[in-house]
Amino acid sequence: MDILSVKNLTKKFGKFVAVDNISFSLKEGEILGFLGPNGAGKTTTIQMLLGITTADSGEIRYFGLDFYKYSQKCLAKLNFASAFNNLQGRTTIWENLVVSSLLYQVPNYQSKIRELVSYFEAGYLLKSRYFDLSSGEKTRVNLIKSLLNDPRILLLDEPTASLDPDVADKTLSLIENLKKDKKMTILYTSHDMSEVERICDRVIFLSQGRIVAEDTPFNLTKKIEMATLRLIFDAPKQKIASYLVAREEIFEFEKENVVVIRTKEKLIPDIIFGIKKENVWITNIEIEKPTLEDVFLKISRKKQL
Amino acid sequence: MSFKRIRAILLHESFVTRHSFEVVNDIILYPLLQIVIFGFLTVYLFGLKGRLIGEYVLIGTLLWQIVSITQYSVSVGCLWDVWSRNLTNIFITPISVYEYFGAYMISGILKSAFMFCLAGILSYKVFHFDVLTLGIVNVVLFYFNLVIFAFGFGITVVALIFRFGSRISAFAWAMIGIFQPLMAVIYPVSVLPKPLQIMSYLFPATYIFEAARKTINDHLVEWHLIGTAFVINVVFVGLALLFFDFMFKSSKKSGQFARLEG
Repeated sequence: MDILSVKNLTKKFGKFVAVDNISFSLKEGEILGFLGPNGAGKTTTIQMLLGITTADSGEIRYFGLDFYKYSQKCLAKLNFASAFNNLQGRTTIWENLVVSSLLYQVPNYQSKIRELVSYFEAGYLLKSRYFDLSSGEKTRVNLIKSLLNDPRILLLDEPTASLDPDVADKTLSLIENLKKDKKMTILYTSHDMSEVERICDRVIFLSQGRIVAEDTPFNLTKKIEMATLRLIFDAPKQKIASYLVAREEIFEFEKENVVVIRTKEKLIPDIIFGIKKENVWITNIEIEKPTLEDVFLKISRKKQL
Repeated sequence: MSFKRIRAILLHESFVTRHSFEVVNDIILYPLLQIVIFGFLTVYLFGLKGRLIGEYVLIGTLLWQIVSITQYSVSVGCLWDVWSRNLTNIFITPISVYEYFGAYMISGILKSAFMFCLAGILSYKVFHFDVLTLGIVNVVLFYFNLVIFAFGFGITVVALIFRFGSRISAFAWAMIGIFQPLMAVIYPVSVLPKPLQIMSYLFPATYIFEAARKTINDHLVEWHLIGTAFVINVVFVGLALLFFDFMFKSSKKSGQFARLEG
């Protein structure tokens, strides 16, 4: 059974179509990267998934239950954290977490809070007011809040934004553990593609409200044929230049003895052997394969994959 | 309906109150100050000869605190979360709107009851006006009618804020004041111009203030006025809930609810 299933979800604001007939699903224990440029419809979709914005049409089902019919049952088993939404600023972290626990009816909530606070090394924050925290500390507290009810599905909107690299890494490890140990299902948005490649089993790219690509990070990067080849050589640069011009390759010299070539990934061996045949001594080879970042840029710039 | 979730919101409200001097000012200091100002004004204007009119003013001022504190508690209580950008965190939990407002109504009842007692003691000690001379039955009936009215008014204001955004948040504390002159709080309805008298009788609170003034004279329970207030209150709160439901749905549809905090 799908933990989350979305069918033909559409949302318009006046004439502007924010989300255009999207369908997707998440299986238990799956981490789905929900990506796209600003204004692609990610936030509106998440708002609909949380029930704070109503869809114009379409269906949302959690654990097989119709979200609009059984919203209380569904909301009890899901949670959300974002770097951009706050807890009550005037009250302390402890007070905020106690209130959230009671709203989710968490049993033994005091020990649950202490367990999570200790994992995120946030014990020293408990008596501070939320307003007084740094952005990174707020993000950590938001994450603690989102795990209080042991959700079956967690919606995370750029959860590592404003975290320092150490805490960001710990957060990603925690997410990986949640998937491994608790089979938690996670919908994850981020603009950091290395994070997405690290933790997501599958990604969906949105553009102008539509799903324009959906696959594993590996398969998506495979769809981009171009790669970057960087060679350091010991020979007159003219020799290499004439060879590459003859092949109609795109290239530039970084230095007298360094050339960077943008070419199809599958042609890289040909180029290397071809240059060798020109009696050029190659001292170093670096290949930059396409990343999810390239996929993201292509989609953002509306190019075909 | 979960009492745990109602308890959570009550706790949340008490934490915010504890950390906010503004709330203490608005629901304790300012109402007491009003009693003192109107109390001395009546002593100055009416002295012992005009004691009855002075009592009209004092009882109106005292009872008005029930309306203003309960309404403030419902409307501004919700605004603290809007201003903090915390409203989403509350409404993505399994809490229902009824539990949420139920908690704020309880909070309003507790705060206004506490303040009514405090203001009653103040007016007795300083101005020798004992609110209990109205009779305990009258006080209880007045109190609950005014609380129900204030609750209805409070959720109407919250409905408007949810729909049109926090730019109209001043409604939360100012709107009740706009209608106060129509409710004949410290003067009889008869002093109002005819068209305003008709409007005045649309408010359930008007009947309670009229009943209170009559009771000072005859010490009876004005069942007709109190009953009329109650019937209009039921209709008013019913309409307020329907209005809230409509505005809440259209706020979610327009995306305004999710943008409230941003």
